[in-house]
Amino acid sequence: MLTVEGLTKYFHTQSGTVHSVDGVSLTVSRGETLGLVGESGCGKTTTGRTIIRLYEPDKGCIIFDGHDITHMNQRELLPFRKRIQMIFQDPYASLNPRMTAGDIIREPMIVHHVPKDEHTDRVNHLLKLVGLNTEQAGRYPHEFSGGQRQRIGIARALAAEPEMIICDEPISALDVSIQAQIVNMLEDLQKSLGLTYLFIAHDLSMVRHISTRVAVMYLGSIVEIAGSDELYTNPLHPYTVSLLSSVPIPDPEKSSQRKIIPLKGEIPSAINPPSGCKFHTRCPNAKPECKTITQILQDKGNNHLCACPFV
Amino acid sequence: MMTEEILRVENLRTTFTTSAGEVKAVEGVSFTVNRGEVLGIAGESGSGKSATMLSIMGLLGDAGRISYDSLSFMGENLTPESVKSIRGDKIAMIFQDPMTSLNPVLSVGYQLEEALRRHKWQGNIHGRVAEMMTRVGIVPADERMRQYPHEFSGGQRQRLMIAMSILCSPELLIADEPTTALDVTVQAQILGLLREIRKDTGMSMILITHDLGVIAGESDRVIVMYGGRIMEEGTSREIFGSPSHPYTRGLLHSLPKADGKRERLIPIEGQPPDLLNPPEGCPFVKRCNEAMRICLRRKPEALTLSETHKYSCWKGAEESC
Repeated sequence: MLTVEGLTKYFHTQSGTVHSVDGVSLTVSRGETLGLVGESGCGKTTTGRTIIRLYEPDKGCIIFDGHDITHMNQRELLPFRKRIQMIFQDPYASLNPRMTAGDIIREPMIVHHVPKDEHTDRVNHLLKLVGLNTEQAGRYPHEFSGGQRQRIGIARALAAEPEMIICDEPISALDVSIQAQIVNMLEDLQKSLGLTYLFIAHDLSMVRHISTRVAVMYLGSIVEIAGSDELYTNPLHPYTVSLLSSVPIPDPEKSSQRKIIPLKGEIPSAINPPSGCKFHTRCPNAKPECKTITQILQDKGNNHLCACPFV
Repeated sequence: MMTEEILRVENLRTTFTTSAGEVKAVEGVSFTVNRGEVLGIAGESGSGKSATMLSIMGLLGDAGRISYDSLSFMGENLTPESVKSIRGDKIAMIFQDPMTSLNPVLSVGYQLEEALRRHKWQGNIHGRVAEMMTRVGIVPADERMRQYPHEFSGGQRQRLMIAMSILCSPELLIADEPTTALDVTVQAQILGLLREIRKDTGMSMILITHDLGVIAGESDRVIVMYGGRIMEEGTSREIFGSPSHPYTRGLLHSLPKADGKRERLIPIEGQPPDLLNPPEGCPFVKRCNEAMRICLRRKPEALTLSETHKYSCWKGAEESC
C-alpha cells in the first residue's frame, strides 16, 4: 500500500544541517499496522509528516498505492490527501478552539467536496462512530476532556474516508485509563473500515500490542524491522536490545528479575551524526569497522531486517 | 529491621478556590514514610498526587488552603514556618520538567552553590557542588559548573536537579514525575542513579508518577490515588499481585499484557473525574463497573486486608459483613 525508499529530510538551521530523516525505507501493507518507535529526536514524527508531504522530502520517493506522490503538486496531491489522513499527539493543540466539534469534523468534507446535504448526517455518524453524542456537535474543544478531544481528532481524520491513517503519538498525552479506550477504538475502526495504520509512538508496550510489524529508529535511520512478537522476543540490533530492556514492567517480581542493559552517554547531535553506523558511539559491541560501514537493513530470516552486520 | 517513621501525614485536605467554584484537590489523605523506603504514589491527572506533596512542602502559595490533623517530619511538627528551613535541606524535591526548574540565565554551578549558601553550609561550597556533580555523572565538574542549563540535555538537567537535591544530604527526596519527560533509556539511567544514591545514603523517597511500570520497579509500598483520595495502599507486591480496589484493578487491566499476548485491552470507561462537581460518595463511582447504590451517597471507609494492605470500597465492606 505504501512504499518509502531512501526518504531523507534535512532541516537547515543556524547551527547547521539537522539530519532528521536519513534514508528511511519501509513498506506498509494494506490492513496492517506498522509501529514506528524510537526516542525523542530520532525522526519518527518527521518521517510521518514527510510521508504525507507536510514536509517536502529532500531525497527518496514515496509510493502510495502504485502512485509516486513524491513530487506531485498540491492539486495532484489532493486526492491522495483524502486517502491518507493523520491524527496528532496533542489533542489540545490540534483542534481549533474557535470551531465547534461538528465544524472541525465537517471541514475535511468541505475540502474534499462532499455534497453539502450529506454533511450533517455524516458528522452525526462519525460522532457516534468514535463514541461521542450527536448533541456534542455544537460544543467547543475546551468543553471536552483530553480523551474526548482525541476522539474528535479521529473523527476528523475519518471524515475524509481515508484508507490509511498516520497516527502520531495518538495516546501519549492521555491518562493510562483513557489510553486503552482509544487503542481499542483504533483497533475496532481498523477492522470495520479496513484501515491501514502507521503508528508512531514511544510507548513500547502499547506499540507491541497494536502493531503487526514494528520499525525501530535511531538518529534518523531505521535500525531494525520485524514482526511485532519477533522483534520483542528476539531483538537483534544492540540498540533495540537496550531500548527494550529499559521498558519498565508493571510487575514488581518480573521487574526485579530482568536485567537492564544501560546505554552509555548521550544521544549524539543530528547535526553531526556519527559516521558509519550511527549507533557505534554508544554500542556495547562496537568494533573499529563500525565507524566506516554503511547502514543497510539485511534480512536475518523470518522477515527480520536488521542494520547491524554483526548479529 | 526496625521501621522508623520519618514522615507522618494525617487527614490532609487541600482546597483551591477558582472562578468556577471550589476544587477539593486533596480530601483526607493520610500516610507515613519509613526510613530508607520508597513510597510510590500512583494516580492520573487530577488525582491529587502532586497537590498532596506541594501541600506538605508549603509550596502551594496563596492559591490553596490546607488543613490536617497532624503533619510531622522526624518527630517534629511541620508548620508553614518550619518547613521553610527543612525544604531543600532535610526534604528535597525534584520535578518533572528539569528545564523550568533551572534558571536559564545563571550558570548551573552558581545555582547549585546557591542552594548550599541558602542552608548555611559549613565547609567548602565549591568542592561539595563538584563532588555531587561528579556523583551524578556530570564531568568534568569544574568545567561544567560554568555552563548554562541550555548546554545540557534533558537527562543531564535531571541529573543536575538530583545533584542539587542531594547537596544537603536529605533524609527524604520527593520525586514528582522525575522521568516523565525523558526517554526510556534515559529514564533507566536516572532511576538507576537514584537507586545507587539511596543505597549509599539510606535516603527515603516518595516517587510520584502515573507510570505503573516505574512504580512497580522502584517502590516498596504504593498508594493509589483517585479524585483526591487514597483508593488503595499496600506493599508493591500486594498492589500488583492482589489489587483489590476496582480502580487499581481497572488500571492494571488497561495495560497491554507484559508477555505480549494480544488480548483486547480492558479500559476504564468514562471520563476523568470532574473535581468541580465531585460525586457525594466514592470519587470513582461513575466509572466503576461494580458500583452499588450506597457508593453514590457515602464515602467508603478504609478496609484492612493485612497490616500493610488497605482499600476504600463499599463492595469489599459488603462482602466482609
